[in-house]
Amino acid sequence: MKKTHNQKLKLGVFVVIGLILFVVAVYLIGNRQNMFVKTFNISANFNNVNGLMQGNNVRYSGINIGTVKTISMINDSTINVDMVIEEKMVQHIKKDAIATIGTDGLVGNMIVNIIPGKGDSEMIAPGDVIQSYTKIGTDEMLNTLNVTNENAALLTAKLLNIADAMADSKGTFGMLINDTVVSSNLKQTVNQLRIMSIEANKSMKSLNTIINTINFQESVAGVLLNDSIEAQKIRVLLTNLEATTAGVNSVISNLNETIEDYKNSKGAVNYLFNDEEFVKNLEQSLININEGTNKFNQNMEALKHSFLTRRYFRKLEKQQKKKAKS
Amino acid sequence: MHNIQAPILEIKDLKKSFGANHVLNGFNLELFEGENVVIMGRSGSGKSVMIKCLVGLMEPDSGSIRVMGKEISTLNPEDLNTLRTDIGFLFQGSALYDSMTVRENLEFPLRRHKQKFAQIKDPTELVLEVLESVGLVHAIDLMPAELSGGMQRRVALARTLILKPKIILYDEPTSGLDPITSKEIIELMRRVQRQYKTSSLIITHDVDCARVVSERIILLIDGINYLEGNYETLKNSDDEKVKAFFK
Amino acid sequence: MFRNPGFMLKLNLIRSFFIEIGELSYFARRFFKEIFKKPFEFNEFLKQCFQVGNRSFLLVGVTAFIIGLVITLQTRPTLEEFGAESWMPSMVSISIIREVGPVIIALTFAGRIASGIGAELGSMRVTEQIDAMEVSGTNPFNFLVVTRVLAATLMLPVLVILGDAIALYGSYVVENLKGDVSFQLYFNKVFNALEFGDIIPATIKTFFFGFAIGLVGCFKGYYCEKGTVGVGKAANSAVVFSSMLLFIIDFIAVFITDIFFEI
Repeated sequence: MKKTHNQKLKLGVFVVIGLILFVVAVYLIGNRQNMFVKTFNISANFNNVNGLMQGNNVRYSGINIGTVKTISMINDSTINVDMVIEEKMVQHIKKDAIATIGTDGLVGNMIVNIIPGKGDSEMIAPGDVIQSYTKIGTDEMLNTLNVTNENAALLTAKLLNIADAMADSKGTFGMLINDTVVSSNLKQTVNQLRIMSIEANKSMKSLNTIINTINFQESVAGVLLNDSIEAQKIRVLLTNLEATTAGVNSVISNLNETIEDYKNSKGAVNYLFNDEEFVKNLEQSLININEGTNKFNQNMEALKHSFLTRRYFRKLEKQQKKKAKS
Repeated sequence: MHNIQAPILEIKDLKKSFGANHVLNGFNLELFEGENVVIMGRSGSGKSVMIKCLVGLMEPDSGSIRVMGKEISTLNPEDLNTLRTDIGFLFQGSALYDSMTVRENLEFPLRRHKQKFAQIKDPTELVLEVLESVGLVHAIDLMPAELSGGMQRRVALARTLILKPKIILYDEPTSGLDPITSKEIIELMRRVQRQYKTSSLIITHDVDCARVVSERIILLIDGINYLEGNYETLKNSDDEKVKAFFK
Repeated sequence: MFRNPGFMLKLNLIRSFFIEIGELSYFARRFFKEIFKKPFEFNEFLKQCFQVGNRSFLLVGVTAFIIGLVITLQTRPTLEEFGAESWMPSMVSISIIREVGPVIIALTFAGRIASGIGAELGSMRVTEQIDAMEVSGTNPFNFLVVTRVLAATLMLPVLVILGDAIALYGSYVVENLKGDVSFQLYFNKVFNALEFGDIIPATIKTFFFGFAIGLVGCFKGYYCEKGTVGVGKAANSAVVFSSMLLFIIDFIAVFITDIFFEI
């Protein structure tokens, strides 16, 4: 009798452990699919969902808060993505939140990222359609960069012409120097040119380092860049940029020389003052240069946000912060 | 002793065949209360088939079997089980349940035949009683594998006795035992017959057993009851087939 | 052509195969009839659960642990090449829960239980214990077959769940040694990868596995041929037949799962 009691006890323990394991597993799986928490639905419309599937995670500021419930075409260019969100998250999501589609790691699943909005608008309500944002692809970004580059090249050519013209007409320029307004303008220009060239140099260096790191990284991104047309484009872009910078530098040194010359020049060149066309040209060029610099900066900014290079820039920032601290 | 009463067990014209092999071919038998009958026959002559038909383990092709006035073939399973409590069956190889102790083996028949033993509260009492009558009280908590062949046979007999049957069917009670143990078992059978006042039907080819235990011997040859009589009559028979048994 | 002895032999083989299937079907039908017949042998059922379940646990546990270990060790280099070691838990868990766990554990279970039941019932048949049971008023089918088949049906799923857990633990051990993954992270990833479509059909099919193993074991033992050779044959063919049946059931189960869970 004792023996069978013992057996029954062991059998009971055995079965109960099995059942508990099963229930825990079911609970954990169900928990992940938000089966045991209160939920509500929100949706967003996209032009392209990049292979998002039912059941993919929805993240809010990087926290898993729900899953994709349905994906449906509502017209030829708009796709509605319905998402199930944990109810306790409702107080944190505002109506101006933006949904984007991204990947969980380089080869991971697709996910919907909900980015918090800036303002203090109302809390989201069940059934709301939030804004969506389709990220600019690397391809498009590189295209704009190329256009800017070509512009910069044109600009340089023009500047060179001007500089040459100035070098040729020594007399004319003398006049300019005596005029305070013009000369201060000129000084500003030169200063701006300097800043620009320094910036351009910096950018060049950063770009070079990026490319180098990308090359030597044995990451998927590295491989991708080395093999694809993208990489080729970037290389072309860089050579162009280098040429431009060199051009800008030479302009600046030319200008410097000219100015030095005129500082030391004995003769006054009065009639330059009357040459309105020249001044206008000069002003136009300066505006052009300014524009070029701005565009270049924008490109750099865009590059910073691209997923391929983001990590590098973050690193850079961190290092700078470290330096600033120490 | 057994003339006026109706027989406790009666077989009429029993036939059973397996394919083309006609094992029983019109076998007749009467067993009266308190009588001990031995059925002798060669191996494969259908003795075992015959007693298996008696307890409903096999169905005969034709013929009637009446046990205590009841026709076996017409009984429903429940009544058959009730009837079986009155028929003890000692199997050839003892047939003790290997996975149970001696005590559990003996208690096993009681599980389903409670109505007959409703007044008995403690089955242990009954178990001890039958174990005592076969002289194996000390073996109550052993497993069958720990017992010798003779002891196993005795436990099997005890298991048969525990239901207090009116008839005991012995299927080769001495097979596989050495002569000395065989004698012990035969002695035990005689004692049990006296103590429990049972009728018995014994199947054997052991002539010694037949001589000691039985009042009447039936020879089962060619599927029929070939010859009947007591030991002396049969031994002195001139029939060639009968002589073969008593060499 | 019909006189060709080789051909006749093959014909007989096919014939006996179908006869076997038919007999097994009758046996299964009888099981479903008798399972509702009173009395239900509850104590014997518990005893068999213990024999079938607890007694198989060590075997199943060791097998499962090694399976988890081996799968992880062997898949790791491949995933490492892609830099995708972090996918290890999800990959291993899905393959173990869905297929490897149930099938391997059921196979070891068949090896132990089908042969055990086959031999036990076979020897009981040969030594007339089954007859003795019937004579003493107990329905041997109810007492022996129903309890054993039920025990196998209900215990195998429990064993598979425990075995799966152990296999995943084995896999975690390797991951922890090689990749320094914490217990919590590992199982977080495991449950992230799993879905109901993985665990529910896999658990349901183990009931059928258990039923098949118990039924075939009992069938072979219950209709065992006389003699010790018959017992050996019963045990042997119980394992062979039930393993084969297992794969057939698995195939059907995968088919059905495919339809209902759209994987």
